[in-house]
Amino acid sequence: MTENYIGKATRSKEGPRHATGRGHFTDDIILPGMLQAMILRSPHAHARIVGADASAALELPDVITAVVPSDVVAYTRPFKPGRYAAGLRKAIPEYATAVDKVRYMGEPVAAVAARDRGTAEDALELISIDYDALPAVTDTADAIKPGSALLYDELESNLAWKGSLTYGDIDGAFKSADKVVKENLKIHRYSSTPLEPFAIIADYDAASRKLTVWVNAQVPEVIYDALREALDLEDIRVIIPDIGGGFGQKIHLIRKYVVIVSLLAIRSGRPVKWIEDRSEHMMAAGHSCAQEFAVEAAVKKDGTVLGLKFREIDDVGGSTSTLTIHFTNKLNNLVNTYTVQNIALEGWSVLTNKCPVIPNRGIGKPGMCYIWERTMDRIAEELGLSPIEVRRINLIQPEQMPYTTPSGNVYDSGDYPGLLQTALEKIGYDKLREEQKRARESGRLLGIGVVIGVEPGGRNAARDMAIFPEMKESPGAGGVNGATIKLEKNGTIALFLGSPNCGQSHETTTSQVAADVLGIPPEKISISIPFDSDLAPWGVSAANSGNNFHLYDIGAVHGAAMKLKEKILAVAAHVLRADAAQLKIEDGAVHAPGSPVKKVTLAELGKIVYGNQAMLPKGMEAGLQATYYYTFPHAEPNMVPGPDRKVRAQFTFSAATHAAVVEVDKETGKVHVLRYLIVGDNGTVIHPSVVNGQIYGSAAHGISVALGEGFVYNSEGQLLTLTLTDYGKSSAEETPKVEIIHRPSPSPFTTLGQKAAGEGAAIPSPAAIAGAVEDALKPLGVRVRDLPLSPERVWNLIEEARR
Amino acid sequence: MTINGRRYEEDVEPRQLLPHFLREQIGLTGTHVGCVIGECGACTVLLDGKLVKSCLFFAVQADGKEIVTIEGLAKNGALHPVQEAFVEKYGFQCGYCTPGMVMAAHALLQEKPNPSEEDIRRSLAGNLCMCTGYAQIIESVKEAAKKLKAQRND
Amino acid sequence: MIPAGFEYFAPSSLKEAVELLSNYKDDVKILAGGQSLVPLMKLRLAKPRYVVDLSRIGDLNYIRGAGGALHIGALATHSEIENSEAIRRDCPLLAQTAATIADVQVRNRGTLGGSLAHADPAGDMPAAILAVDAELKASGPSGERWIKAEDFFVGFLTSALEADEILTEIKVPIKSGGKSVYLKAAQRASGFAVVGVAVRLTVANGNCNDIAIGITGVTDKAYRAKNVEQALKGKKLEAELIERAALRVVDGVDLLEDINGSKDYRAHLARVYTARAIKAALAT
Repeated sequence: MTENYIGKATRSKEGPRHATGRGHFTDDIILPGMLQAMILRSPHAHARIVGADASAALELPDVITAVVPSDVVAYTRPFKPGRYAAGLRKAIPEYATAVDKVRYMGEPVAAVAARDRGTAEDALELISIDYDALPAVTDTADAIKPGSALLYDELESNLAWKGSLTYGDIDGAFKSADKVVKENLKIHRYSSTPLEPFAIIADYDAASRKLTVWVNAQVPEVIYDALREALDLEDIRVIIPDIGGGFGQKIHLIRKYVVIVSLLAIRSGRPVKWIEDRSEHMMAAGHSCAQEFAVEAAVKKDGTVLGLKFREIDDVGGSTSTLTIHFTNKLNNLVNTYTVQNIALEGWSVLTNKCPVIPNRGIGKPGMCYIWERTMDRIAEELGLSPIEVRRINLIQPEQMPYTTPSGNVYDSGDYPGLLQTALEKIGYDKLREEQKRARESGRLLGIGVVIGVEPGGRNAARDMAIFPEMKESPGAGGVNGATIKLEKNGTIALFLGSPNCGQSHETTTSQVAADVLGIPPEKISISIPFDSDLAPWGVSAANSGNNFHLYDIGAVHGAAMKLKEKILAVAAHVLRADAAQLKIEDGAVHAPGSPVKKVTLAELGKIVYGNQAMLPKGMEAGLQATYYYTFPHAEPNMVPGPDRKVRAQFTFSAATHAAVVEVDKETGKVHVLRYLIVGDNGTVIHPSVVNGQIYGSAAHGISVALGEGFVYNSEGQLLTLTLTDYGKSSAEETPKVEIIHRPSPSPFTTLGQKAAGEGAAIPSPAAIAGAVEDALKPLGVRVRDLPLSPERVWNLIEEARR
Repeated sequence: MTINGRRYEEDVEPRQLLPHFLREQIGLTGTHVGCVIGECGACTVLLDGKLVKSCLFFAVQADGKEIVTIEGLAKNGALHPVQEAFVEKYGFQCGYCTPGMVMAAHALLQEKPNPSEEDIRRSLAGNLCMCTGYAQIIESVKEAAKKLKAQRND
Repeated sequence: MIPAGFEYFAPSSLKEAVELLSNYKDDVKILAGGQSLVPLMKLRLAKPRYVVDLSRIGDLNYIRGAGGALHIGALATHSEIENSEAIRRDCPLLAQTAATIADVQVRNRGTLGGSLAHADPAGDMPAAILAVDAELKASGPSGERWIKAEDFFVGFLTSALEADEILTEIKVPIKSGGKSVYLKAAQRASGFAVVGVAVRLTVANGNCNDIAIGITGVTDKAYRAKNVEQALKGKKLEAELIERAALRVVDGVDLLEDINGSKDYRAHLARVYTARAIKAALAT
């Protein structure tokens, strides 16, 4: 395959429409007779619902329909616990709205549809819901004390799940340790807060019993299954227009709202649109999980980590439906980049009266990286070693690739020592240490943090069976997604992707891949949007996330393009009376070797295959279209875990080192990021601007999380951060400059050597900032364990250390 | 009122907000809504030549005013140099903040044709982006400055 | 998102506007730049049945020098103040403070009068106004009256304006030789002052001749830090003296406590920023 376009910054296919305001978002769509919906949400963090009456709302002119909990129970079925809730002692079905109880401020309780949005909002004020307030549970330690108010009586405890697993000989490791280094760490609740909140239009054709929904959901399968389950419908069409940011926020809880809006559409007989407000999104769209870690590392005095143990307490909020995702995902980067052979993990999922958690960018992996990288710094401190040497001595070496980890992951490629060394060189580490010395003499607090992290990619839900061997239904192993490619009659190419997009330039990237296979320029390839479940060749990995797209969609597009190419050459061989193996596609035509005359254009081929039966090879199917469904061919061994619980949690492994240089204002606690450098390995980079964009964006977010953005609840479970400003989202002024250096180790297992680039820098960046701030505050005896490092919290650390 | 050079006479309810008016009544859906209290800038337009957040306006206040939305920049399908710069330098990902961001960049460059990076960051402080980390947006504005300078020199 | 329904008025004279206020009393709100009122209405925290838009009234937006003072119309925007040659020359503190507000879109619409009348406890302009000894003109049904800046901010979101009065002008005495600065510890996203300190001082023969310090963000309203001023007036402004004086900045003040800062942290920041602002002003 001639590499003409892969690796180049080809012109964006998405850019022109976004730059001209012609992006095609859900709220841009208007259907005839469409109503506008509003959702009524619980003002209480914890309460019983003892009455609901929408009659006053329905009396307002132009209010067409309303649903209260009793309607939801009467006309929909609850979601049965899915794989995210595996491990629940008792199956707890969940309706789209609260039914007998509310368990978090903002939980949806009722909904109304009216002819215009203002009227719908007026109507909400007329729906009366009677609540019996209950004590709110907001602290995980309090939540599991006997006598605490219970979120689910049937579970008998707010500790909804506890589990553990061990790989290797953890006891042996701790017995033979020279030292055991302990640390307690905390990460807070945050979110990637996509700029476009949830947006849904539902249109039900009662005569044909077909429901069509337009929704900015990242995973069509979740919506599809949710509608079938809740509304008992078979003919469902899910259309996904441009999405204004996903980041994992638009995967799971959005299904509740699709059901509510669909119910309104079914009851009213009209299309219904619902556009979420920012404050609703902050309260109820989903949060990343606050996690507490108690970590112990068994180490030799040279810094070798013999074993790692950690217990994790996850504050999962007011729903059981995503009980264990932040723990199970620890299996994906469990050993980070290190050779440790013995590792034990224990997870507790604690329910609280806060927003339920969802798979926000990284899902538990930032926590795992935080565990490792804070612990490595602590090990260095307690053994009197350099934090760089402690990492170096534990790194998996490039000669060991492909490397099987104790939990069964197979790292495809990576040069971790090289990434570390390059980071140290480019940040000028030794010089920085000297500068730090001089700065300390003049009372300035300069700090350097260097961390390393893997970014796993690919999908394997069977991973959960390693933690829940009792799972009755296999959650579906590996991943599948498809693509269809078609030569049009005029010689251009139409490409139908199996995934929706939320801004990762899928159209641009896949056109580069198809262009290289087919030998035609990407401008001649058009991608069909939006995602339409009736038409798209989609499978379980249809999800716009870096985890999946780089592997399944790229593989599918490549496969489909190869199939199409084969057929193009076969038809051309027939037409040119030549040997297919000798033919070349160039400049929009198939050429016979050495003969400038003997060629046939793609347009001419198009005309033949779609319209001239006489010129087709005998017995060949007409048309020039190919569909290919891709599965990762190297998914074994351990795609499904056996009794040893080893499993391929994910399949590809990007990695990066991050170096952060900070200065802390001693008087105010404010942290200034002076430099931030990333040396990244994303394998073969298909489009550098696209990959860089993902790295810049994920880094900016992780840094902002570390420095103060985050959700804050009071002790009554009231969310105090309802706006982006109260939440602390960084603007261009608050975001530091990030430098990126690429040092790829292509994967030997993927179609083009490409690896993931999506969750990326969100995984190591909180640890990088924590390490740098601790390093800056070392002269004051401060230890950094908990995030976020807002100015006040840093000031408190300084004050505490002074006392 | 004038929107992108064209005169309109419309009836509005007092509480109708300007972005909803533009999107639903005029059909210009490029101006986006991303928040409630005017903190995200996705709704940014030019009103009488000044950069403003349209979501903090009632449509009725725009009586007699000149509005330029993102749709008013390209001429006959040809991208404005600022738009072209954003496309070339990948100053976008999901595209939701992009119209507001382009308007803010456009307004900045009209006032300061040669902005420093600090100027750019400060002028874009009212436009939040959740995807890009702003890096390639800033590059796009610098590129736009170059393009506009070249245009003036022609 | 969508406010409760209301009736909209855009009077063309101040007299009409005042009449509307008198008629509708508690049910009416003034719309100036809208950067504070419209968010409250969209959240339905404010549900005025009547909204009076001042923007069609002529001559409420001006910046003129006359009689040794700068006269600023209440509808002058923060952007206009930031960029005004006259203000930069004759009262740079106001321009410098205006430049730190939020973002360019908010500055293009937010008005000086609007932000002062709104009396947000973390607003920037209140601190600056206090530090420049401004006087504020209120126009009501019985005529006009002048209110001193230090009497203007009464409490949480409460100014000294009566329900039927409109703030129409801000008068700032032009004093030569002043050194001034506005410094704030800004909330990381909104730019609002967790603590904001506006200082204007004059130095004669190495001693502090005159000093005014406006504090915002710390309590339910902006205030003059008279304790600190008294400790410094007439003295030589050395670092140690400044820092010691700054320690008194929140004496007797009921500190705000919220997600942006506890009482202790706010008090500490106020002291730090007061000292820094005085030193920075000296250096101008």
